[in-house]
Amino acid sequence: MLKDITLGQYFPVKSFMHALDPRMKLLLTLLYVVALFLVSDFWGFLVAAFLIGLVASFSKISLKVVFRGLKPLVFIIMFTAFFNVLYGGGEPLFPQIEWLSWIKTDGVKNAAFMIIRIILLILGTSYLTYTTSPVMLTDALERLMRPLKIFRFPVHELAMMMTIALRFIPTLIDETDKIINAQKARGADFETGNIIRRAKALIPILIPLLVSAFHRAEELADAMECRCYHGGAGRTRYKIYSLGWRDWVALGAMVLSFAAIIMLRIY
Amino acid sequence: MIKTEHLSHFYSVGTPFETVAIEDINLHIKKGEYVGVIGHTGSGKSTLIAHFNAILKPTSGKIFIDGKDLWSEDKKQRIQTRFDVGLVFQYPEHQLFEETVYKDIAFGPKNMGLSEEEIHRRVEKAMRFVGLSESVLEKSPFDLSGGQKRRVAIAGVMALEPKVLILDEPAAGLDPMGRDEILGRIREYHQETGSTVLLVSHSMEDVSKNADSILVMNRGRCQMHASVPEVFERADELEKMGLDVPRITRVFFALQDKGYPVSRNVFTVEQGKAEITRLLKEGGKNHA
Ligand SMILES: Nc1ncnc2c1ncn2[C@@H]1O[C@H](COP(=O)(O)OP(=O)(O)OP(=O)(O)O)[C@@H](O)[C@H]1O
Ligand SMILES: [Mg+2]
Repeated sequence: MLKDITLGQYFPVKSFMHALDPRMKLLLTLLYVVALFLVSDFWGFLVAAFLIGLVASFSKISLKVVFRGLKPLVFIIMFTAFFNVLYGGGEPLFPQIEWLSWIKTDGVKNAAFMIIRIILLILGTSYLTYTTSPVMLTDALERLMRPLKIFRFPVHELAMMMTIALRFIPTLIDETDKIINAQKARGADFETGNIIRRAKALIPILIPLLVSAFHRAEELADAMECRCYHGGAGRTRYKIYSLGWRDWVALGAMVLSFAAIIMLRIY
Repeated sequence: MIKTEHLSHFYSVGTPFETVAIEDINLHIKKGEYVGVIGHTGSGKSTLIAHFNAILKPTSGKIFIDGKDLWSEDKKQRIQTRFDVGLVFQYPEHQLFEETVYKDIAFGPKNMGLSEEEIHRRVEKAMRFVGLSESVLEKSPFDLSGGQKRRVAIAGVMALEPKVLILDEPAAGLDPMGRDEILGRIREYHQETGSTVLLVSHSMEDVSKNADSILVMNRGRCQMHASVPEVFERADELEKMGLDVPRITRVFFALQDKGYPVSRNVFTVEQGKAEITRLLKEGGKNHA
């Protein structure tokens, strides 16, 4: 079922990671991503992996669940790795075997680096979305981007659009599942036939889905207007975020790891 | 007709969202039976019925349709059972997609690979069953009223002429007239075609008026499956599950407890009226 896709989903449990300030989490993730690109040897990755391990144990979401979310991306990862091998330099890895001569030591090393980097990248960002509700996430984004308002950048509107889009993803997935089932019950067949047949088979799903999406959008717009929504100007906040001891501890751990990675790079 | 053995279904297995939707369901529904399926919100009714036409695969347990184990057959066979067991989902009007009402009702029969004439015959028949007039046939289904859309959607499944017709709250969100009308049509369909019907509903009144037997779901388990009067005899248990017997039935239970010689099998106001009239006449005689 579509519902079983876990990538980018929020898991509402209570944990240290969930209790962190979303702004801090966003910042930490940013630092983490930068750090990953600064890593130049396997020891650096070890530090990052250690960090992920810490996050996993403090979030009550097991690595197993998160790894399952990687499944849809296996193809992309393999693809990247393949091209890294293809264009890598260095000595052939198997000098005796003729037809494997294109596999070179540097290429394999680069590919391994790339795979580890992508996986660590996805794991890290997954933990951000797993432990932060979409609303909090866009909220944090809005706050952090606030300086851009000077340049007349529509920060609030953008954040609101993202909130709404994220909010409706599960609803639409739910709806798609329901419509697929309803058409299946009338004997619709989505799994056999050539490409044209299969594309045609999507019509009974897409039309009801679009109709209901437009319906929802209209209703939502009405409901928002009824509650006097008129953009970001003058809007006050219900939830005021403040940094607590957890946030400083997390920041400390991140800064230490960051420093370690830079040290490893220099020496 | 339909049999289940230790049927269980869990959603989102292996994630923090894992939920037990139904557990250890063992039931046997006979051919031609009209079964009302009742239970509070989230008790697993929709999950249960989605197993009967192979939309959901059981986490464990077995389902037999006409004696055949549904999940031991190959895929083609399983798709075939979707035509034998017609399922109308909750709010079925959301599945409409064709340009015209006619085409939408014909979608199922077309998938069965029937001839044009046969499709035409079935669409006409299904329209009659749900009480749609000829004039809407060429209209877009999106231009109809909510109640009409509902009927078109139900007709779309009836046109499969299934041996078992399952409806998930077909009357939800309709006004009282619309409710009675739709339920009446379904009853007629049952009587005329002799097919097995499963009606999922929140309303004891609706179920008792129409069904031969009641299947009570509670927290994912099948608590009772018996004839209507038998189920109502266990009114106290029902109450614990957040369900209730029809109010008129309660009145007659109370009357009998007070010593009046009335029947306990009163499920509708009409029956109640008849019973009271009978009692008054007899009572008059006794006093004379
Ligand atoms: N697609 C799904 N994914 C995860 N959990 C689900 C899904 N569908 C239903 N559930 C859960 O399974 C349980 C049974 O749901 P089900 O829809 O079968 O109940 P129901 O008796 O039909 O309720 P209602 O009367 O509200 O229609 C509920 O706890 C529900 O939260
Ligand atoms: Mg339901």
